[in-house]
Amino acid sequence: MQENNFSLKAVNITKKFPETTANKGINFSLKKGEIHALLGENGAGKTTFMNILYGIYMPTEGSIYIDSKEVKIKTPLDALQNGIGMIHQHFMLVDSLTVLENVVLGMKNQGIVIDRKKVKQKLIEISNMYGLDIEPDKKVWKLSVGQQQKVEIVKVLFRGANIFILDEPTAVLRPQETGPLFEILRKLKKDGKSIIFITHKLDEVMAVSDRISVLRKGELVHTVNKNDVTKEQLAQMMVGRAVLFDFDKKEQHFQETLLDVKNLNVYAESGMKIVDDVTLDVKKGEILGIAGISGNGQQELVQTIAGLRKASKGTIIFDGIDITNKTPRYVAQHGINYIPADRIGMGLASELSCIDNAIMRNYYKKPILSGCVINYKQAAVHTQRIVDEFSVAVADIKRPIKLLSGGNMQKLLFARELFEDPKLLIASYPSRGLDLAATEFVRKQMISIRNEGKSVILISEDLDEILSISDRIAVMYSGQLIGVVNAGQVDKNTIGLMMAGIKLEDID
Amino acid sequence: MLYFEKKENISNKSKLIISLVSLLIGIFFGGIAIAVVGINPFAVYKSLFTNAFGSWYSFSETLVAATPLLLITSGLILVFRMSVWNIGAYGQYIMGAIFSSYFAIFMPPDLSKPLMLSLMFFGGLLGGALWALIPAVLKVFWEVNEVISTLLLNYIALYVLKFLMYGSWRNPTSYGFPLSKPFPESAQLPIIFQHTRVSLGFVFALLAVIAVWFVISKTKFGYEIKVIGNNPTTAKYAGISVGKNIITAMMISGALAGLAGMVQVSGIIHFLQIKLNANYGYTSIIVAWVSYLNPFLSFMSSILFGGLESGGYSIQISMRVSYGIVGLIESIALFSIVGAQIFLNYRLRWKK
Repeated sequence: MQENNFSLKAVNITKKFPETTANKGINFSLKKGEIHALLGENGAGKTTFMNILYGIYMPTEGSIYIDSKEVKIKTPLDALQNGIGMIHQHFMLVDSLTVLENVVLGMKNQGIVIDRKKVKQKLIEISNMYGLDIEPDKKVWKLSVGQQQKVEIVKVLFRGANIFILDEPTAVLRPQETGPLFEILRKLKKDGKSIIFITHKLDEVMAVSDRISVLRKGELVHTVNKNDVTKEQLAQMMVGRAVLFDFDKKEQHFQETLLDVKNLNVYAESGMKIVDDVTLDVKKGEILGIAGISGNGQQELVQTIAGLRKASKGTIIFDGIDITNKTPRYVAQHGINYIPADRIGMGLASELSCIDNAIMRNYYKKPILSGCVINYKQAAVHTQRIVDEFSVAVADIKRPIKLLSGGNMQKLLFARELFEDPKLLIASYPSRGLDLAATEFVRKQMISIRNEGKSVILISEDLDEILSISDRIAVMYSGQLIGVVNAGQVDKNTIGLMMAGIKLEDID
Repeated sequence: MLYFEKKENISNKSKLIISLVSLLIGIFFGGIAIAVVGINPFAVYKSLFTNAFGSWYSFSETLVAATPLLLITSGLILVFRMSVWNIGAYGQYIMGAIFSSYFAIFMPPDLSKPLMLSLMFFGGLLGGALWALIPAVLKVFWEVNEVISTLLLNYIALYVLKFLMYGSWRNPTSYGFPLSKPFPESAQLPIIFQHTRVSLGFVFALLAVIAVWFVISKTKFGYEIKVIGNNPTTAKYAGISVGKNIITAMMISGALAGLAGMVQVSGIIHFLQIKLNANYGYTSIIVAWVSYLNPFLSFMSSILFGGLESGGYSIQISMRVSYGIVGLIESIALFSIVGAQIFLNYRLRWKK
């Protein structure tokens, strides 16, 4: 029977959330002793799918089979009992405990007093078998990130798992640590264990996996053998082919520099360098697209330009003025308006009315403000103008903005920023979550302000969007600027490869 | 299966019902406690009600208790709207009382009344504001949680008061009691209704409610408060200085609590002592929540809770019921209203 070759089978898995469908009819199979890579952009539904396998979510529809038997996985404990272990991107370890203590933590069959000798012996056995090099009595906080990851693997092995799910395991590793991890994965595979490897890095997929499944917008679009595909084909599968719009882009000769960023360095809250020595310029009248897989420093770069983060090094000159580390309001008043990626988290106050949200950029200026009193009549007039000109569907502008749909919220935010008549508009994922009509509307707006001689920085993961409306494209990878290319001279695959960290000169 | 469904809109009617029901739950459990000690709870509540609202004089006593509640609550509404949790009105009230008493005790008693009262007025504001400035600065610059710092400063304020009352501010002729010397006539707030204890402080309270309503609903500062309270990240994005606004609002809140302290010593007690009814600082937190941080609702709630306070004193004497009952009713009402938030945002549904 062929069925028996599969250690795990997921049939027709659908997961619906109130707002979206994160997984649509996914059919996925995992053979015994294979490394199966799950590839997809952020928001493609990888994490949701893994959480279903690991019992964090229940699927709306569909069933899961393990060794040809149907199972219901309601909690992570169920998953473990069915032999599924997960290695999370953010480790689930207690720093102040030893490796051994972390391993037995939460295990119910150990009794009240832990037989340390027995556990230790077993740990060393496992460690030797897979070349993990674990010291059971060492405290976790003394270990490097790579070693901590090995502890996570041992934890799962100790619990007798046969199926391993690794959620972007290399994201936290230094390049030198990636090789040894892959070595361990190969040993696990040889021992008959099955591995699901989640990533969006194409090189790693090619290096270690046997089969590859590609998720896109919640659907599993392809499952292929590694030997049958090239990196370029994978890149194309990942981003897909979207509807392309025709835009009326005026010929423009770019000369004058509007924004000049030099050697910019920014650190994230975690202390990690998130923008690494970026030098970049934006000309007057151009749309500069910034491509990159999310989390590679694009957000932090533009937030620093908008005054929301502090640069540790470097300068930002805008229209002849030094705006490095100035306040958000200073930057906004000098003509940079910013549309943030996560509009509910930053950019809108969801409990407040549409009026309160619409005047966020001009409540401190005439005619909205007179003295220290806000003229709410004027504010309503201003809001109504935004609503009318951008055809925002809203029942009552006095009611909370959270009652609007995502698309209409975005329109209102977009319009609010455009009404300020910026010299430079920074738009992060402006069309994320919008329907086709709204997407087209937003893109046309960006083109039209470009045609007026103003500039736009567009951050997007959607390569079609970037390619169709940008004049130049800057690609970022792990905080660095991989390269800047003219939009007319490259294709999607090239950009896709650059997004995976490959420099233009290294692409043949 | 029972489940909660998110409501889109919250009507004012359901807010009012939940407030009143919460208070009734408090009264219900208070009634049980009274019955346990063998006293008829209905008789107690009847007496409480008559003593709070039954006659003009008892109602005036209710207004006397409502005055500090109103002053403190208006200030709390301002900071609570910003999601800054000032639990320190108790200490700010004491500090306001101390600062204003300084003038009454140490200035020449023949100072003109308007001058003396102005000094005390601003002293009260200043004392409360400075005491609130400490946690505000700690929060803004060092991210110290204001709930803890304001709460702990309450105890420090009380010990400062004790230090003064057992030390240099004690009246040498008080036979060792921790009291200051009585305030001169020039340091006493005028009474606005004859034969009652309702002082000019009640007018201050009314003005404070109107001012806070105006600030929140009409001004730039109020707008910034709303945005910060709803989403501090968005506030920062919009160029609002979050730290500056927190410090300003905290100081206003402290100043109003300090003013309540001034009104109490200058309008009611007429000397400084250890027992200043600073518990108004805690009761006001309940009043603010029961009113959903709405200034006008807080006016009504203050009168209601003022009645509970003043009626509570009377039943202690007339019915021999401990005043603690009032605290019990208040705290159960707070629990109920906080617990009832879920019914505001969700409705209960049944699904098979």
